[in-house]
Amino acid sequence: MDSKRKKEGVMKREHGAKKSSRRSFMKNLSIAAAAGSAGLVTGGCGLSAEKSEEMGLAWEEYFKKNYRLMSQEEKDETVARLERLAKLRDGVDIQMASQEPHEKVLYGYAFNISRCKGYMDCVEACVKENNLDRKTKTQYIRLFEMDPGKLDPTSGEGKYFHEVPVENKFYMGVQCFHCENAPCIKACPTKATWQEPDGIVVVDYDWCIGCRYCMAACPYWGRRFNWGKPEVPKEEINTKQHYLGNRMRMKGVMEKCTFCIQRTRQGKLPACADACPTGSRVFGNLLDPESEIRFVLKHKKVFRFKEDLGTEPKFWYFMD
Amino acid sequence: MKKILFIYRLFLLGAAAPLLAWPGSVLASGTGLMERINHADEPLPLLPVQELPLKTVLAKDSYQGGDFRVLARKGAISRYRCSVCHTDKAAPQVKDGVLFSHADIELNHGRGVEKLACIECHDEKNRDLLSDAQGQKIDFDHSYQLCGQCHFRQKRDWLGGAHGKREGFWAGERLIHNCTSCHNPHSPAFKSKLPETYSLPLDD
Amino acid sequence: MTTDRKKGSDFIKDCLRWSLAGGTGFKIFLAALLLVMGAGLIAYLHQFQTGLVTTGMSNVVSWGLYISNFTFFVGVAAAAVMLILPAYVFKDKDLHEVVIIGECVAVGALIMCLTFITVDMGGPLKVWHMMPGIGLFNWPSSILTWDVLVLNGYLALNSLVPLYILYCNYQKREPVAWKYKPFVFLSIFWAVSIHMTTAFLYQGLPARPFWNNPLLGPRFLASAFAAGPAVIMMVLIVIKEKSSYPVDSAIFSKLKRIIVISAIINLLMLLSEVFKEFYAFTHHSLSAQYLFFGLDGHDALVPWIWTAISLNILGTLLFAFDPTKGNPRYLMVAAISLFTGIWIEKGFGLIIPGFVPSPMGEVVDYAPSLNEILITTGVLASGILVVTLLIRPALAILSQYKEADG
Repeated sequence: MDSKRKKEGVMKREHGAKKSSRRSFMKNLSIAAAAGSAGLVTGGCGLSAEKSEEMGLAWEEYFKKNYRLMSQEEKDETVARLERLAKLRDGVDIQMASQEPHEKVLYGYAFNISRCKGYMDCVEACVKENNLDRKTKTQYIRLFEMDPGKLDPTSGEGKYFHEVPVENKFYMGVQCFHCENAPCIKACPTKATWQEPDGIVVVDYDWCIGCRYCMAACPYWGRRFNWGKPEVPKEEINTKQHYLGNRMRMKGVMEKCTFCIQRTRQGKLPACADACPTGSRVFGNLLDPESEIRFVLKHKKVFRFKEDLGTEPKFWYFMD
Repeated sequence: MKKILFIYRLFLLGAAAPLLAWPGSVLASGTGLMERINHADEPLPLLPVQELPLKTVLAKDSYQGGDFRVLARKGAISRYRCSVCHTDKAAPQVKDGVLFSHADIELNHGRGVEKLACIECHDEKNRDLLSDAQGQKIDFDHSYQLCGQCHFRQKRDWLGGAHGKREGFWAGERLIHNCTSCHNPHSPAFKSKLPETYSLPLDD
Repeated sequence: MTTDRKKGSDFIKDCLRWSLAGGTGFKIFLAALLLVMGAGLIAYLHQFQTGLVTTGMSNVVSWGLYISNFTFFVGVAAAAVMLILPAYVFKDKDLHEVVIIGECVAVGALIMCLTFITVDMGGPLKVWHMMPGIGLFNWPSSILTWDVLVLNGYLALNSLVPLYILYCNYQKREPVAWKYKPFVFLSIFWAVSIHMTTAFLYQGLPARPFWNNPLLGPRFLASAFAAGPAVIMMVLIVIKEKSSYPVDSAIFSKLKRIIVISAIINLLMLLSEVFKEFYAFTHHSLSAQYLFFGLDGHDALVPWIWTAISLNILGTLLFAFDPTKGNPRYLMVAAISLFTGIWIEKGFGLIIPGFVPSPMGEVVDYAPSLNEILITTGVLASGILVVTLLIRPALAILSQYKEADG
């Protein structure tokens, strides 16, 4: 007990010391970036200035807290570090947001299974918007080609590649359903995944230890793991990023659909709903009685996938 | 014997210990999602969003008692205004045959004997307007009024938001696609094509 | 031997000496273990650099060889209780003699478990995120946090209690009962709890119908109480053959009885599960179908599970009808057969089918990569090394103490 407390004390002291250096670092950031040399942390040692700056930033990143415990100041600091690291490592200028949820907003989604034609524009848009790994072809959305007579996507064909729509088939899309009672959140040993006040289930990629228990716990196959380092060609990187959203992931962490948090918190539609050419995807605020999603829930007969599990997904299917 | 009983109790305790985790999480499970949604019946103020550089018009129908906007159509029709050619003169000068005779248009709207002819939607006299079965003149920007005379179910869904789609934003003033933003009015069914991408695993 | 009380530093020195001193055969054995561990370490460094993409796991089968072995060795670790319980509660003299061996095996198994979990992690450097105080420990919600607690607690119990007893014996005095007995009894139910908690890890996931089954925990226990004593029996046979430490043959017959009863209960529960899955086939039975018969042309596990069941039944029968009345060679064969059977069944046979078909109904086979196998064998070798290096000084101290005593 004692030794632990001592350790904590040491951690705190280190933290305090770091803070001041961090502040001066923040001040110097623009100058340093302009000069292209900072020599902040180690300096010398035969390392180039950029390399040592990168290592210093990575070091500070390693000891940062879980996102939910950060003050706004700390959030700004880590965002600044991550933007700088993206520049140093990949030569990309990104703008990272840490925008908070809006009040009285709870996102919900509805999918029209009688409209979807299986074109997969949503899948493609999602991959581009969310900087998904091109190497292993990570996709958050799956579309299943279904035979009539069954409503369970597990009986569908998810690997089709032929002209669509096929006569007498229908199409059903699945992704993370942002369950109100999400089994993945309960499973995570480090609280690296949680539900935001606006209903989005997010992952703090830097806090995730990669045990994949959430993946085993998800009944909808809504989570993806970075088995290797995800790769996106430099010119294809979406530079408008969110800390909890589409920022570049690292190897060994979990990721998932975030309802495009970087877009939706700005009032935009998620990329999938925006890209859908058939209007099968309805997205909106569940707490707004005048929203489209509420109209669907009220006037259409809706159902949810695996409702018997009590996960309360915020993703409904409906028909015309 | 006593000892066995004691050990037995210890066993039970050990087995039961992890169970303590459950009641809390079970009780905390969100039973009230639908209740929460259904109880939210106060209209909310609009969230401000950035403006889109798009031509829109205020719809002539109302949405849940309020106004909404639709994407304008006229600007998207390359040959608008139609009256440039369709004048009172009997035979317009035809230089570019295919273009001016509308031979490029594939008309495939309606089924069998119900198949539509041009004149069933376009106004016979004033080609800059559409007209419905009652002879009511309809602006191209408000074509949903025309489509809705047959497709009234779709129109009802479209007005509410179960059919069609919003443009760009879920927040802010409601701006939705016109019927003709997605459907080609002359051949409204979606075409079949190869999907944009494919999903793994393809190999097994 | 001096009669003076010896110091702690002497204890460590002597233990190291007893651990490492030995003939050429022993040296070759040690070198082989170190070689396998070295290969595992190199393979792990590769995995650490490149990521878990070096394994055969995928987004569908997201746990593989590592977690399978972890699950199985939790069982082996818990099995020490099958010696402690009769020795301390029923005052069984014979089993009391070998309790220490059970505890050494438990420590080795636990070290393997913790290592398997660590090598399975995507971000092993971030484990501090899980430490209460500096990290965020999702307790009591996450069963994984319970498992971390019980595994580490059990490791502490199983290292500190024998350490205390051995240290006392080393100093030629009787250990003070009230100082360690409460912990012995604690470790009895703790052993059950490590098993049940590990089972709950899987059992508590409605997403995976193959695991979400109330029999999983009890069946874990039954199979562990067969496989664990089988390991201990194997170790005892080696000790009997290779060292001068006396192992009474009565111990073997007692262990045999424990194994037979547990193995029969395990087989009964297996029968019960198979009946449930196949008498009234639902879509929840697809995993079982994949395991036993293959699904959609995928049958990677079928030969494994039938081998496992055959070995299981063979081992049980060999133990149940022992015509040699305790011939060590015969028992060795029976123990290896049963141990391997349960290893495959509790490892591969339990973990992989939980993921197949995926929640979206897709069937993907899993086969471990060479790198993954090297890491696994490396961890196994380190477990064997730990057990070896612990047992040797323990036995040395015990036999000296007995000599002095008697």
